[in-house]
Amino acid sequence: MPEIRVTPLGAGQDVGRSCILVSIGGKNVMLDCGMHMGYNDDRRFPDFSYITRNGRLTDFLDCVIISHFHLDHCGALPYFSEMVGYDGPIYMTHPTQAICPILLEDYRKIAVDKKGEANFFTSQMIKDCMKKVVAVRLHQTVQVDEELQIKAYYAGHVLGAAMFQIKVGSESVVYTGDYNMTPDRHLGAAWIDKCRPNLLITESTYATTIRDSKRCRERDFLKKVHETVERGGKVLIPVFALGRAQELCILLETFWERMNLKAPIYFSTGLTEKANHYYKLFITWTNQKIRKTFVQRNMFEFKHIKAFDRAFADNPGPMVVFATPGMLHAGQSLQIFRKWAGNEKNMVIMPGYCVQGTVGHKILSGQRKLEMEGRQVLEIRMQVEYIQGLLPDAKKPRLLHGTLIMKDSNFRLVSSEQALKELGLAEHQLRFTCRVHLHDSRKEQETAARVYSHLKSLLKDHCVQHLPDGSVTVESILIQAAAHSEDPGTKVLLVSWTYQDEELGSYLTSLLKKGLPPAPSGGS
Amino acid sequence: MDPECAQLLPALCAALTDPRQPVADDTCLEKLLDWFKTLTEAGSSLQLLQDSPCLVELLLQVPKAPGLSPRVLAFSLRLAGLLAAQEDCFQFLQQGELLPGLFGEAGPLGGAAWTAPTVRSGWIQGLRSLAQHPSALHFLADLGALDTVVSLQGDSSLFVASAAGQLLAHLLGLSLRGQAEGSPGPQVCDWPASAQRIVGHIEESLCSPAAPRVTQALNVLTTTFGHCHQLWAQVLWARLSPLAACLLEKDPVPAAHSLVDLLLSAARSPALSSDRSRWETVAQALGRLSPAHAGPLALGLLTLQDCPQALSAQAFTVLLQPLACVLKAATQAPGPPGLPAGPEGDPAVADALLSSRSACVGLLCQTLAHLELLQPLPQRPAPWPQAPLLGAAVTVLRFCNGSAVPASGSDVGGRLCAILAGCVRVQRAALGFLGALSADTGPPELVTQVFAVLLDYLQSPDSSPTVLKKAFQATLRWLLSARTPPGCCDLDPPTQLLLRELLPVLQRRLCSPCWEVRDSGLEFLTQVVGCWAGQAGFRHALLASEVPQLAQQLLQDPESYVRASAVTAVGQLSSRGLPATPAGPEHPGGPQKSLLPELLHVLAADSEGFPRRAAMQVFTQWLRDGHAEVAEDTERFVARVLQAASRDLDWEVRAQGLELARVFLEQTLGQPGSRCPYAVAAPEAAAPGRVAQALRAACRVQLVEFAFRALFDYDRPVAQKSCDLLLFLRDQAAPWDSLQEARGSPDVASVEAALRRWRAGEQGQPLGPLEPEAVLAVLRSMDLEGLRGALAESSDHVERNPQSLLQDMLATVGILGDNEADCY
Repeated sequence: MPEIRVTPLGAGQDVGRSCILVSIGGKNVMLDCGMHMGYNDDRRFPDFSYITRNGRLTDFLDCVIISHFHLDHCGALPYFSEMVGYDGPIYMTHPTQAICPILLEDYRKIAVDKKGEANFFTSQMIKDCMKKVVAVRLHQTVQVDEELQIKAYYAGHVLGAAMFQIKVGSESVVYTGDYNMTPDRHLGAAWIDKCRPNLLITESTYATTIRDSKRCRERDFLKKVHETVERGGKVLIPVFALGRAQELCILLETFWERMNLKAPIYFSTGLTEKANHYYKLFITWTNQKIRKTFVQRNMFEFKHIKAFDRAFADNPGPMVVFATPGMLHAGQSLQIFRKWAGNEKNMVIMPGYCVQGTVGHKILSGQRKLEMEGRQVLEIRMQVEYIQGLLPDAKKPRLLHGTLIMKDSNFRLVSSEQALKELGLAEHQLRFTCRVHLHDSRKEQETAARVYSHLKSLLKDHCVQHLPDGSVTVESILIQAAAHSEDPGTKVLLVSWTYQDEELGSYLTSLLKKGLPPAPSGGS
Repeated sequence: MDPECAQLLPALCAALTDPRQPVADDTCLEKLLDWFKTLTEAGSSLQLLQDSPCLVELLLQVPKAPGLSPRVLAFSLRLAGLLAAQEDCFQFLQQGELLPGLFGEAGPLGGAAWTAPTVRSGWIQGLRSLAQHPSALHFLADLGALDTVVSLQGDSSLFVASAAGQLLAHLLGLSLRGQAEGSPGPQVCDWPASAQRIVGHIEESLCSPAAPRVTQALNVLTTTFGHCHQLWAQVLWARLSPLAACLLEKDPVPAAHSLVDLLLSAARSPALSSDRSRWETVAQALGRLSPAHAGPLALGLLTLQDCPQALSAQAFTVLLQPLACVLKAATQAPGPPGLPAGPEGDPAVADALLSSRSACVGLLCQTLAHLELLQPLPQRPAPWPQAPLLGAAVTVLRFCNGSAVPASGSDVGGRLCAILAGCVRVQRAALGFLGALSADTGPPELVTQVFAVLLDYLQSPDSSPTVLKKAFQATLRWLLSARTPPGCCDLDPPTQLLLRELLPVLQRRLCSPCWEVRDSGLEFLTQVVGCWAGQAGFRHALLASEVPQLAQQLLQDPESYVRASAVTAVGQLSSRGLPATPAGPEHPGGPQKSLLPELLHVLAADSEGFPRRAAMQVFTQWLRDGHAEVAEDTERFVARVLQAASRDLDWEVRAQGLELARVFLEQTLGQPGSRCPYAVAAPEAAAPGRVAQALRAACRVQLVEFAFRALFDYDRPVAQKSCDLLLFLRDQAAPWDSLQEARGSPDVASVEAALRRWRAGEQGQPLGPLEPEAVLAVLRSMDLEGLRGALAESSDHVERNPQSLLQDMLATVGILGDNEADCY
């Protein structure tokens, strides 16, 4: 058996700063070179001391591979290549190569904002680092040297994200990075050749998590934005420069068009153009729907979304603003937040995780009085919302994971259904879930009975059943009522459905969210 | 600890020991420890514990709380260690039986939590902090902790294993330092029991047939010699070096890399000192280790300040062997034959070079890199064999591009030809080394060959972008080394020739389909022009070539990095009187097309920040240098540039705008060193008059309004720069103050109203014409020093303080649920 050594220099048990050293067949490959948003000191970068003590980096390492442009996968790259001294090749896809410098400049700006220019990589270093990049195409076998070859595969997740197969002789490793098995609004699903790697390194943060339906979350998001705008409020959505923010833009753009809404939507200065430029440039990396629509209309040429000018923040009336940075820790998003926070008509929607030490983290944890600079106290009266899983952010990408099958050292990425079949798992393990809160002080069984009669009367064409255990089913959709842990006057309906019944599941959830009709013997 | 934190701490400690309340963020506990570390470093840990009984309670509860998260457990272990580092606090914790509860069998050590690497790591780190005093050693001995540390050296987690090794080395040092009598004794058998135990373990491991155990022992020793005392370092080396020598007898030498580290660590420590006999093992290693391992050892020895001469000669020979082999393998090796590595060469080196392609490439790259590092050091061997090294670098590069002919009958030559052809790694390493060699001169015929091979690489269509970049850098270094004193324009013929021959190469490279190559070409052009613009022959050749026009065309390049480099290059050309668009043949002698509008267009219209930043840098430099296009109407120039910069979305462009504003102010105020025509116009003017003139000019070009607005910029560095600029202006204007007071108070209401709007983040209308008197009055009334102090703080200093951390941790307690599941 060949020896393959894997050394996590970051990530591993930790989250962020993904950086894995793989030694295979005498070759040393570094997989990703990310940073950790939660620290401002040396801990923000992976621990390179393990490899620097093996002599000169450039001699020790055969290559670096970057899976995608999120900073937790590439944020330490200029530091590694220009300050630690790695001078060898760096492989990434063309879109990643194009977008990386933008994100790195963004990161540099935040770092300089905090600590000044001292001991941080410069713009020139970012450029010099990018000059060492060898851009690869999907499915192109790249011969790093006589013995080492790599091949990139589509990973979904974000524009340009790739999985890599690394091969030395007959030994091979597959590194998935972050990937996505379900196509979303702008990207397709991951795909890889059938192969037999000796080792698979895969993102597994969500491997065992059953996620709420994405459609549900999207609907929630649109509803919240719409309601705020309708009552004349302003909506602030802090985002990172590039990534799935574009997906949110498509979502809002389509909704605005459909509902014929007039309130202006703005995107942080300069970024729309940049983002759109890259999405247009790499249109072949997006999903089929976008590619198809592109012929008639470019999805990234938004009609409703315009560039934001800081003067607009004072305009009266409703508006939606996407502003950077995503954790409300500096710059434009924080300034707008400070301006709007005092008005209860307004809303901030945090679409991503926030690290400790940021205003975003504080408001997400429910703090309503914030100390700002100069001992000022800012009282938060605006609504604070967290849209679960709608957007990944640069530090902690979230994604709907594919299922991995590894059997007899043969592995494939397959759909969830296929995985269920082959692994013999019980089907309920892969269901979408959504929780609906109802005001109802009666017992759970009675609530379930009311749900049953309500649905029965509405869904005449569907098979609605009330099972002996108290649960209600509509086709394959399961509804269970439970008591709320803290509020006895509230019942929680747990709605779950399979991937195939996504339409019906979402529809039912929206029905239940409207509430139940008043019961004859008392209101809910 | 401030009262606010003291108030919050008990609730947090209670939350930490409650397994139902998971901790929010993986960084919070780390930051909490950072805070405790600063507290214990600044004061008494015992006092801290007495003031915060909740901490004692936390340490008491943690081992007893079932189902506690491994992270909290690890945190508590590390906190306990941190506190117990001070002996009185250690005694206090011991009295409460707290430490055995945490670090002994009663703690996580004996439980299920031990399976978590975080907990094992926390245990080691806790002990590492704690082990600072003799009492700690007794505690560890009573606990039997040494056995656990020893076994953790082989832990499945790399970080746990490595920390265990470090702890072992630390404990050895501590037990020897802890001797009351001072010296620990001339024999290991006189040493304290714990030290003997550790040395015994190391000896046992060194004799083990298992390579990982040998590596562990060598690593512990390497750390030990890194921080050891002369008295016992020599005893330890005398005892253990025979075992290291035994390792060298084996074939292959086990854990060779770690062995090299140990030998170098010992060589740098007082263990070897001036006693020659102690260096024997090192000399033996140089001879026994494979070339790949002997190289780093040789380099390490050569960088020592006091390496015995014979050993350093031996080390240099080892280092040079691979290049000697290369030189011997080529018939046309230039320069004086041979390196001081012996005519025969080491057969092991030839074997290593021929064994496989990757071994050959690895060894050559390593050798070239080592020599590149050695070259600039004052302790490099003398005489430095510059000529043969130049010859070797050129030969390697020729093997790589296929222009070297192997010596007849040389197996090595034929094989090297095959291996090195097109090898990018070796090309890069050899070009780097060749560049470094430019610091010394060489025989003219060799320099000619260096230039020839550099030109070959620059011209070759096979050169990869990274190789080309290295070739450009090496060429520049050689050109710089050939620089003559200022005023003397005579260059030696090879350099003149190279400069001329470079232009067609540059011309082609500027048209490369690779943006990296176009960019490197432009960077090279900027630097060459900076150095050689005064050389008539070069100027003539440059103007006759298409290079300036090509550079100008690249202002429209699709790649923003290239556009930025083009801006810098044409700016430099223009500064040096080498216009990119000379008068056309149809209008000989006619006026040259101005570059200013083009660069202003870049500043106003380029969609990317890099070219706009570059344009600002060029403008600032032009203003400094009194560039002709600027001098025509400096005020108009500054006004236009500042107008564009103030609206820019890129913070660095705005910051650069403030830099330009500063230069303008310095010049109008007649600061020493300024070369602006403005300053020349009224050099003798009385200070108040000059200030008035400067202020009026600053108001006319809307510099003041730009600076005032920038004071409230969203981006902190811009605000900081603006604050500095306004402070400078205010201080410079001080002589004018008395004059002002005589004239009565100016109308400052409109300026102050605008400032209030900008402070509130509103844009508002432009301010309109400003009165210098009003500006000064406002500047004097503002607390600019206070603002500068506030801006000098990190933008997140409020969120980063300990109170904020405690609040955040408390706020997150209990509400984690859904968010946590979704965040990662």
